[in-house]
Amino acid sequence: MNILIENWGFVSKGLWMTLRLALVVLLFTTLISSVFGVLATLRNRVLRTLIHAYVELFRSIPLIVNVFFIFFGAPMLGLDLSPFAAVTTGLTLWGSANGIEIVRGGLESVPRHQWKSAWTLGLRPWQIYLHVIAPQSMRAILPAYTGLLTMLVQATSLGALVGVSEFLKVGQIIIERATVMTGVSPAFTVYGGVLLVYFVICSSLSWLSRYLERRLGRPAMRTKNQGVS
Amino acid sequence: MDFDFDYLLAQWPALLDGVLMTLRVSLLAIAASLVIGVLGGAARVMKIPLLAQFVALYVELIRNTPILVQLFFIFYGLPAIGMELSLFWSGVLCLSLWAGAYQVENVRGGLATVEYGMREASMALSLKPIHYFALVALPIAFRTSLPAMLNTAISLLKNSSYLQAIGLAELTFVAVDRIATDFRAIEMFSAICVIYLALVAVLAALTGRLSAHLQRPFQH
Repeated sequence: MNILIENWGFVSKGLWMTLRLALVVLLFTTLISSVFGVLATLRNRVLRTLIHAYVELFRSIPLIVNVFFIFFGAPMLGLDLSPFAAVTTGLTLWGSANGIEIVRGGLESVPRHQWKSAWTLGLRPWQIYLHVIAPQSMRAILPAYTGLLTMLVQATSLGALVGVSEFLKVGQIIIERATVMTGVSPAFTVYGGVLLVYFVICSSLSWLSRYLERRLGRPAMRTKNQGVS
Repeated sequence: MDFDFDYLLAQWPALLDGVLMTLRVSLLAIAASLVIGVLGGAARVMKIPLLAQFVALYVELIRNTPILVQLFFIFYGLPAIGMELSLFWSGVLCLSLWAGAYQVENVRGGLATVEYGMREASMALSLKPIHYFALVALPIAFRTSLPAMLNTAISLLKNSSYLQAIGLAELTFVAVDRIATDFRAIEMFSAICVIYLALVAVLAALTGRLSAHLQRPFQH
C-alpha cells in the first residue's frame, strides 16, 4: 500500500482514467439499453429476435475476446481505433447486452393491466411509457443496473491488456519500475493495494444496489411517506 | 478484406491444443469451485462461528474486485511472499477462487429454500446435523440451485480466457499468439468466438439433461 501512496500523482491519473472509461461506457450502455430495451418489449417479432440474438451473442462470448476482436480486428477492416476507443466499444457492446435484458425484464415486470388502464384513460403510448410504465419499472431496473455498473467498473481493468493507462496498468508500471530500481518486486503489496481500492469502490456500489433493492422493494413506502408529510 | 478459410484449416491443430488447455483448466476449476461452494455454503448456513464470517468476507472480496487483478495478485504477488505456483495451477487457483465465491452464494440460496420442517423431521429421526446436511438438505438444495450453478460454471469457462494475460496457452492465448505473426485477426477471432459459443452450448446441454433428470420426482 505504501508504494501506491508514494506514487500518488501517478496512481491518481490511473484512477481518473478508470473513472473516465467507466463513465463513457456507462453513458453509451444506458443510451443503447434504454432504446433497445423498450424496442424488445414491442410486439414486432423480427425486432425481438434480432435483439435477442444480439443479447445472447454478446453474453456468451468472453469479454476479453470481444475487446481483443475490436482492438486487433478494427485495423484489418481499415478502422483506426485508439486503445481507449477499442475498450469502450467492447465494454459498451457487452454492457448493453446485459443492460437491454435488465430494461426489458423491468418493463415486463409491470403488470399488463397498468397498460390497459392507462390506455382506457386516453393516454397516448409514449405517455403511458413515460408516466406509467417507466416509473414503476424502475423498481426492478435500478438495483440490477447498479449491479451492472459494478461489473462495468471491474471490467475496465481489461484496458491494461490493450495499453490504456488505467488503474491496473499504472500498478503494473509501478511494479516494473520498482523492480528495475531496487531488484525486489513489490507485486504483492501493489496488487494487494489495487485489489483493496477496487474493493472499496465496488462494494460501495454493491451496497447501493442492495439498498435500492430494499428501498424500492417496498411498495407501501411511498404512500406512507406521503401520509406523514 | 478477404476471409481465408484455408488459413483457419491450417491453424486447426494449434486451436485444438488451445481448446484442450481451456477445457483442462476449466473442468478442474469447476470441480474445485463446487467443493468450495458446498463447504462455504454449509459454513454460512450452519452459522459456524468465525468460519461463517470468513466465508462472507471471502465472497464479498471476490465479487467486488476484478478477476484480472485477482489473477495478477495470485500469479505475480504470491511468489513475492514465497508461494510459488506454476502457470497452470495459478490459473486453476484463480478460477476456482473466483467461481467458488459465486457457488457459495448459489448453494446458500438453495439451502435457504429447504423448509425448516425437513430439519425437524430429521431431528425426530435422530439424524446427526452432518447427516441431515449431507443426506437431506444438500440434495434438495442442489436441485434448486442447479441453474445458478450452471451459470457460474459457464462464466468460469468464459473467464478462463483471462488466463491469456499471464501467458497460459489456452484458446485465447493461441489466437492472440497467431495474430501477432500472421495478422489474421478477423479469421482467428471469428473462429474462437464460434468455439466458445459451442463450448458454452455443450456445457449448457449437459447440465440441462442433468437438471431434467433431477426434476423427475420419486425415482427408484
